[in-house]
Amino acid sequence: MENKQSSSPASFVDSTVVPGDVVLDLSSMTNQTIKLGGGLRQDCDAISATKAGTLRFSKPNKYWIESSQKRYVPCVEDTILGIVVDSKADNFLIDIKGPAMGFLPVLAFEGGTRRNIPKFEVGTLLYLRVVKANFGMNPELSCTDASGKAAEFGPLKDGYMFETSTGLLRKLLSSPACPVLEALGKKLSFEIAVGLNGRVWVNAASPDTIVVVANAIMNSECLSGAQQIIMVDHLLKNIQ
Amino acid sequence: MEEADEMVTPGEVLGRATDLKAGKGAYAASHNNTIYASLTGFRRIQAPPPASHDKRPTVEVTGHKAHGPVPEPGSVVIARVTKVMARTVSADIMCVGPKSVREKFTGIIRQQDVRATEIDKVDMHLSFRPGDIVRAVVLSLGDARAYYLSTAKNELGVVSAESSAGATMVPISWTEMQCPLTGQIELRKVAKVVN
Repeated sequence: MENKQSSSPASFVDSTVVPGDVVLDLSSMTNQTIKLGGGLRQDCDAISATKAGTLRFSKPNKYWIESSQKRYVPCVEDTILGIVVDSKADNFLIDIKGPAMGFLPVLAFEGGTRRNIPKFEVGTLLYLRVVKANFGMNPELSCTDASGKAAEFGPLKDGYMFETSTGLLRKLLSSPACPVLEALGKKLSFEIAVGLNGRVWVNAASPDTIVVVANAIMNSECLSGAQQIIMVDHLLKNIQ
Repeated sequence: MEEADEMVTPGEVLGRATDLKAGKGAYAASHNNTIYASLTGFRRIQAPPPASHDKRPTVEVTGHKAHGPVPEPGSVVIARVTKVMARTVSADIMCVGPKSVREKFTGIIRQQDVRATEIDKVDMHLSFRPGDIVRAVVLSLGDARAYYLSTAKNELGVVSAESSAGATMVPISWTEMQCPLTGQIELRKVAKVVN
């Protein structure tokens, strides 16, 4: 079989790979510790891709596959938007668009004790943090940050929630600020919460603003930075 | 052994307590001195051992699949982990002692029964994974759904486990197992195998 790989592993970095591609050959890189992120798997000496996407590399030694999906796989320390489905004695059952329901312990709030357990109706939208996400177990969630403070987690009131792909969300959360959000923020005032599980919540004073912001974000998925700014200008001209 | 054994069902009269002794699958009702069957199966009579004082033969009910081994409190069982949750682990019991069971029994290992020390700091995910084979001891008959099992001894715990790469792992300490293909170490509550 023809060996398509050139001798340096950098040949696959930033190019599209599909599941089954051998992207790194460990026998040619001795005495290095490399860290494998999502979408990569080790088979003795070969590192192969298990997801379709772009192979990324960050110095000094991290490799991972970036791709945009509609499904969400829970990871620790992700901030997500969940919807309450049921409440049990010890925890709330939360739908997080993943393979299993998330469990939110009833005490996982700032100053939470058995006496002041919050009562959430079925259908409440919550901004949460993933505490434990092991394969095969239901993920454990929390409404506090790592030090126990509330820090914006909790129920989101009013507003509008819509679903997108995970790639778009990471663009929205990247720093420096995403062009769409910057352009919208110059003319309109709104509040936004981005959940890494594919949900975005927008709130503003008037429904027109909410709709414009939501449409702008959904349209910006396949556009480059400059195109996004042009698209936002078009939208804003139409409402003013 | 007699060939023409009759099939009996629970509640059938097997004989009188004055003529027979109740063996496996049968019991003697004290109020009217009769022996009744308590299981379904074939009625068999065994001659009394010659050295005993009691000259009555023993009647037993055997030969049905329900007569496979049944976990009793105190017996060591081999189970396969099916589900790992925050505070409990469910396992399907496969063998009781050296014999394999003939019907399905479920067991639960609770967080406080995983090991003997620091029982409130146990992380179930770092002790068991779905698919692991564990050796455990039956604590009690538990509730209607499952037996309660315990692995709180050195020789109890994970006996065999598969790594995420698919190879059978080698135990290297009482908390760690290593995959021979990738060298990755995974945490389990490992049973000490005594030869």
